[in-house]
Amino acid sequence: MTAIPAGRATADGRIGWLEQTVGGITGNIEHAIFTERHARSDGWLQRRDPRAKLVGFLIAIVAASLVSSVVGLALLYGATLAAARASRVPFGFFVKRVWLGIPFFAGIVVVPAIFFVPGERVFDLALGPAHLAPSWNGLAGAAIFVGRVGVSVSLAVLMVVTTPWADVLKSLRALRTPQVFVLVLSMTYRYIFLFLHTANGILLARKSRMVGRTSGREQRRWITGTMGNLMSRAFKMSNDVYAAMLARGFTGEVRVYSTYRMRVADWTALGVTSAFCGVAILASRIVT
Amino acid sequence: MHIPDGYLAPAVSLALAAPTLPVWGLAAQRVKKVLNNRTVPLLAIFSALSFTIMMFNVPVPGGTTAHGVGGTLIAVVLGPWAAVIAVSTALILQALFFGDGGILAIFANCLNMGIILPFVGYGTYRILAAGAPTLSTRRAVAAGIGAYIGITVAALAVGIELGIEPVLFSSNGHALYSPYGLSEAVPAMLAAHAFGASIVEGLITGLGVAYLQRRHPEYLTSLRGIFAPDVEAEGRPSQRPLWQFGLATAAAGVAVMGAIGLIEGGGNPGRMFNADWSKVDWPSVASMLLVAGLAGLVLVPTAYLILPRAVKRVGAGFVALAVVAPIGLIAPGFAYGEGHAQDVKLAFGYVPTGLQDLSGIFAAPMSGYNLPLPFFSEANAPLWHAGIGYEVAGILGILAVGSVAYLVARLLRGADGAKPPISAESGT
Repeated sequence: MTAIPAGRATADGRIGWLEQTVGGITGNIEHAIFTERHARSDGWLQRRDPRAKLVGFLIAIVAASLVSSVVGLALLYGATLAAARASRVPFGFFVKRVWLGIPFFAGIVVVPAIFFVPGERVFDLALGPAHLAPSWNGLAGAAIFVGRVGVSVSLAVLMVVTTPWADVLKSLRALRTPQVFVLVLSMTYRYIFLFLHTANGILLARKSRMVGRTSGREQRRWITGTMGNLMSRAFKMSNDVYAAMLARGFTGEVRVYSTYRMRVADWTALGVTSAFCGVAILASRIVT
Repeated sequence: MHIPDGYLAPAVSLALAAPTLPVWGLAAQRVKKVLNNRTVPLLAIFSALSFTIMMFNVPVPGGTTAHGVGGTLIAVVLGPWAAVIAVSTALILQALFFGDGGILAIFANCLNMGIILPFVGYGTYRILAAGAPTLSTRRAVAAGIGAYIGITVAALAVGIELGIEPVLFSSNGHALYSPYGLSEAVPAMLAAHAFGASIVEGLITGLGVAYLQRRHPEYLTSLRGIFAPDVEAEGRPSQRPLWQFGLATAAAGVAVMGAIGLIEGGGNPGRMFNADWSKVDWPSVASMLLVAGLAGLVLVPTAYLILPRAVKRVGAGFVALAVVAPIGLIAPGFAYGEGHAQDVKLAFGYVPTGLQDLSGIFAAPMSGYNLPLPFFSEANAPLWHAGIGYEVAGILGILAVGSVAYLVARLLRGADGAKPPISAESGT
């Protein structure tokens, strides 16, 4: 795999959008490998039955969007951190990945609302005709909003990081998701990486032939040509894949052999999770 | 456009499953019925393609980048039902695997980008491309416009979903979920897309279809026959010249303006845009238009010839704008936001005191965009005199602004050493 430094600045200090794209693609591939590594280590969440894990995380995410106070969110986040620690997910990686990235955008989105929400003001700074006056109500709303997004994202990240992709798919099947969807999902997952590699190769080939800069118009023309090219490769590939599936006796039926067994520990974990989420929701209703 | 968890209340997230789940079921049925076991690898590979397209950041005029979805492109090639499955699968993978879009919000995201987008885009495409041969330019343009409208409508749906949150769910005066109401969320989403991401999606789709027409026309015919057998896609390759599209766009613009004018005038053609057109002196308007037309015939080619190479086209365009500027003189009334204090008083019956104080301070040398000579601005001078005054004032103004911009650019470049100008990459 070609490792290209993400978002490298060009000579005049700008970061070219092509490099940005290459960096994004490569970063995602690397991230994917990283993820499977945590899924294979021996921890508390990795030992649970995938079905119990899926249901438990769904309950927790619903609970995170139902609690309406900082107390409830803090309880849920504490439990998430404890689960991550018990599952040997590196603390720094887990906290940084969530709080540096995704809620940052939520935070920017919510800033104007702090000033517009009516209510008692924290302070009132007069700047000419304009007043800089955040309200307590606005601050509370913003804190809950950012906290909720952060906890939801943490839960989703923890689930994906501790579960091999094949297990996620099998448990989706066990939860009666239509077979076509599971099959398409599992094949898509594989081809995404193939396509990302192909796209990465095309970008690298272009970069290695380029001298100087090109116009935006030229870049757009190139990108659409590349997409059309990828599409035609997709057609050819789907024919080959279908032929290969036929040759191996594919009749339209998919048999997934499941070796999963819900043990006492799994039922206990599911029960404890549900009970804890109930407590968090209740606590957020009482302590406001 | 991916909504993360926490923006939507769980009740809204789950309520959006009500329209999404049946469409998924129907799509699976439709696609399965039409195609045999080949469905699976084809759909999987197209989902992967949509996923990859969502990762390409494309530069947008204005300095930012945006990503497309590819929903309309897939709908044009495979039909809308297959596009529903392909885009939804890509979205579910993004949510589960890359944290792009929330897990509870999957139904919302799939409804917006996986269902509304391909169906609106494909519907628009079918209407605009009706009867066109497979390889005609009209099909590619129709696909581009369909994609633009499809993703813009999807953005509108996102705006509405976010905008109803504070109305439905608030406690103690503060919003529990997304804090912006409909009046903020809808315009923000629409503006961000209509002038950015939607343009990208339209370009990707239009140019993508054009590429397929040129290089792989069989994908536009044979596959359509499999996925949407009721659609006839036969015909000779033909090219429609660009000027016909320009003419059609202009006609559509005039029609829209006419409709708006009629609505504002209460349906009376004599009061278009709510103005009294019977007050207009049409013979003097005709003479002014004649003079303006002659001036344009001389000035625009002259500007194109004498201007330096780099600004030839832009400069000639600006001169053409200055030439047509006096058309505004015909309209009885005044342009919004440009009125003089007296005009404002006539229209509203009073003058805001702040405006009255300010207007005396600075009397512009060419006030009213006209020249301060009796020939041009006398009260009873013929209209074409004022028209010429407008044009000369306009060209002088363009020259003044252009010189200031040129000087500033020179100064900046001088201070920056021998570096190339910042706009080296603006190819559009």
